[in-house]
Amino acid sequence: MTNRIRRAWGWLRSTAGRHRLERGLDEEIQFHLDQQTEKNRRAGLAPDEARRQALVRFGGLERVRERARDEIRPALLDDTIRDVRYGIRVLRKAPGFTASAMLTLALGIGATSAIFSIVRTVVLKPLPYRDPERVVTIWETARGGAGRNVIAPSNFVAWRERSATLQHLAMVGPAGVAMLIGGRPYQVSGLTFSFDAFNAIGVPPAMGRAYTEAEDVGGRDAVIVVSHEFWQQRLGGRSDILDTAIVTDGRPRSVVGVMPPGFTVVGQRADFLIPYGQSVEQLRAFAGRDSSYAIARLRDGVSLEQASAEMRRIFGDREKENPRLNATRKVVLLTLQEQMVGDLRPALFALIGAVALVLLVACVNVANLLLARSAAREREVGLRTALGARRARLVRQMLIESLVLAGASGLAGLGVAALCHRALIALVGDRIPVPRIEQVTLDATVVAFTMLIALTTGIVFGVMPAMVATSDANSAVRDSGRHGGGRRLHRVLRTLVVAEVALSLVLLAGAGLLMRSFLKLQSVDPGFRSSDVLTAGVQLPATRYDFTRAGSLYSETISRVSALPGVQHAAGASCLPVPFACIGTSFWRADRPRPEPGQISSGQVRPVTPAFFATLGIAQIEGRDFAGSDTATAPPVAIVSEEVVKQEFGNESPLGRRLRINVDHVSGRNDVEWTIVGVVRNIKSALDGPPRRTVYLPIAQRPALGITVFVRSALDPASLGASVTGIVRALEAEAPVDTRMLDDVVGGTIARPRAMSLLVGAFALVALALAGIGVYGVMAYSVRQRTQEIGVRMALGATRASVVRLVLAQALRLVAIGIAAGLIVAAALTRLLERLLFEIAPLDPWTFATTAVLLLLVAAIASYVPARRGMRMAPIDALRAN
Amino acid sequence: MATDRGDLLQGTLDMLVLKALQLEPMHGWGITERIEHWSESVLQLGQGTLYPALYRLERQGLIASEWKATENNRRARYYALTRAGRRQLQDELVQWQRMTRAVNLVLAVRGAAARAHPATE
Repeated sequence: MTNRIRRAWGWLRSTAGRHRLERGLDEEIQFHLDQQTEKNRRAGLAPDEARRQALVRFGGLERVRERARDEIRPALLDDTIRDVRYGIRVLRKAPGFTASAMLTLALGIGATSAIFSIVRTVVLKPLPYRDPERVVTIWETARGGAGRNVIAPSNFVAWRERSATLQHLAMVGPAGVAMLIGGRPYQVSGLTFSFDAFNAIGVPPAMGRAYTEAEDVGGRDAVIVVSHEFWQQRLGGRSDILDTAIVTDGRPRSVVGVMPPGFTVVGQRADFLIPYGQSVEQLRAFAGRDSSYAIARLRDGVSLEQASAEMRRIFGDREKENPRLNATRKVVLLTLQEQMVGDLRPALFALIGAVALVLLVACVNVANLLLARSAAREREVGLRTALGARRARLVRQMLIESLVLAGASGLAGLGVAALCHRALIALVGDRIPVPRIEQVTLDATVVAFTMLIALTTGIVFGVMPAMVATSDANSAVRDSGRHGGGRRLHRVLRTLVVAEVALSLVLLAGAGLLMRSFLKLQSVDPGFRSSDVLTAGVQLPATRYDFTRAGSLYSETISRVSALPGVQHAAGASCLPVPFACIGTSFWRADRPRPEPGQISSGQVRPVTPAFFATLGIAQIEGRDFAGSDTATAPPVAIVSEEVVKQEFGNESPLGRRLRINVDHVSGRNDVEWTIVGVVRNIKSALDGPPRRTVYLPIAQRPALGITVFVRSALDPASLGASVTGIVRALEAEAPVDTRMLDDVVGGTIARPRAMSLLVGAFALVALALAGIGVYGVMAYSVRQRTQEIGVRMALGATRASVVRLVLAQALRLVAIGIAAGLIVAAALTRLLERLLFEIAPLDPWTFATTAVLLLLVAAIASYVPARRGMRMAPIDALRAN
Repeated sequence: MATDRGDLLQGTLDMLVLKALQLEPMHGWGITERIEHWSESVLQLGQGTLYPALYRLERQGLIASEWKATENNRRARYYALTRAGRRQLQDELVQWQRMTRAVNLVLAVRGAAARAHPATE
């Protein structure tokens, strides 16, 4: 072994330093001749004669140089170069074969490397933090639940004061602000970010500084840190950005720092970071849960398990101190990796599985093509064997041919990858939150990966045909007929077709399941009609508005929008109907005692304006809609969904009954009783979930500074959006307006299953096409092989139809075996998709049956073409064919 | 070509080169001189053939080369045995002695014994 390594090293060195060595050789020869001349001169010869004698003793200079050079440039390399040249020539001589093989491989390789580029950035690349594996995020979640949920600031304060295993505990939460840029208002999203979060992740701003503890908890919080990208793209990249003021929500903040390029908070992009600006006492006194999670760094020598155990203990104490807040909750610590890709994992695994299958099918197909072609080269191989070529040498040559093919396909695959990559990014877009997706690039690593995949596939699909083709070379020469090594070869070909069909079926079945699941999801009735509804999110600057002023601005906006020609209805609400619960909280019948902390089942509360139900097409079942008379000072009223009636009132009419709701009334009190005045149909805020209990309140009685305006109209969305924006701006020039169609909002909530079914579906179609090509190739070969037999049959009176039947029967038997094998494998594998499926079982018989029929159909078409060719052959030609 | 100067059996040159380097590293010309001297001028190499052999041995990892200054302060390439080369030399010496002994035995057979065992067709 060491010997082999040494030889390989020597070879490499001699190859690398070839020119150097040749120059060395000349100098060496010169030295030699000089020494010999000197010796001859000392022996008494004249200088000229001494030189001449030396040259004679040395022998032919050129010949020595040539032979030394031969030793330097080893035979292996020469042979390899010759094989590569030969390979290229052979491939160029068969353009049809080369093109189909390259296309096949390029598709497989390209898809694989596009998925790899995403997986690498999204999953594999560590976050650019200091020791990122030491950083954890902390969430609270419902007991028995698996998801993650926001934390209570009062719990956070307790953790910070009591934890001995964690340091730099900090909170992180979403922040949307209205920002004036160049005098125009924009809605910008960033994060509220405790001062200690910079220390927790160990990343200071690249320019300027992080804000200090005094600025965060001391209330002197008029500071902001912006992202590199935001600074470059929105703030003009000015170098004197530090210490300038940016107006957010109507108040100026001083820019103290700019984060490094590509900075994300656990994969989430943030245009800016601002402090909470709340004292410890304020945080401790915060009654419920805000919208934050916590981030912290493990102290030295502490494991995640130890920290989790300690946090659970502290949480247990917190439950005793504040049962109402904590009785139904538990605390979870996540690694950054888990937080970023936890719920993406099943989808990513499914995608990796899908591309791996495509690549495998592509390999099988090319192996198939190579084999069928090597049949045509049987005699070449036989001849060369007879002339003394060793088998290893022949295998190597054929392998190099495959590698040349694979290398070229790899290059083409890069092009395919670039296309796939663009399509993928477009598909994911802004609609699916994939961490760091904007950083995905086709860089050197991806190129290296692609070429590695290409060469590996080259070896995988190249070895077998080469072995088969050379194994029976002797008989190939002996048999002058076409049957030589053909029979054995044919067996291998058939096995490959079975494998190919089976693999394609697995992929098709998976794609079918995802597709059907998506269609079911798409046909879910959300309870409202989303078509022809424009939404416009409006945010008012907090410093200049209170609820009363905001409320009157909103009613003015809605009445002006309603007056636009072509508008059927207009209304407002605190939130969009999907995908979030708006205010997730608890409520109970006022005539019953407040449930114990552990017993409350939560629902969603949605503040809306009059005509909200008419605008969204939510059917009113009983009672009345909200009206202008339901003002802040009027009696508190509520409209409930059918689900509330079913769970709380059974068959009784809920009209006139009262609810207690865990939200603040506009008066600031949270103990008012809300009288039910109406019942509406259920809506779904998540299409794949059950309808949740929903209570609607008049927005005048439960106000907010932000509002979403809904406009039902058949008008062109763009001009309507402009009109709505114009109306808002006329009333408040600094309010950002974000317009979108409700259809797009709803579509966005199922963008991920949509992308999954499209992607896997595309892969499955490629696999199906490849399987078709594979079947075609093998059957064409088979018909060529059986030309004589067919001729005899036809001469003996077989009809054309019977010839077609003969060929088809052979093909379909193979395909049937492949389908059976594929069904078994698919049944085992589709279980892995379970978490991605909606209302469809992983073993859905309908999907499996359709898939099998589809494959059978494609295979039948693919084998019908060669069968017809066999049929058309005139018997006499067939007999003469040999 | 060089029949009168003691033609070298194929493969023997490599062994002689290794042997010449057994004591100390030497440059190409020195090696030819040494072999000539030790063979009492019977073996006079076609000197040029030495170099391909040196390159071959180096590629096989049996010798290693290094540019050094000679006593007269000229630059020359010195070759030295590697450990593998030393082992190779030992092997070849054993092999050579077995061979020469066998050949000598064959050549020492007298005429009568030769007739008693005629070669069969």
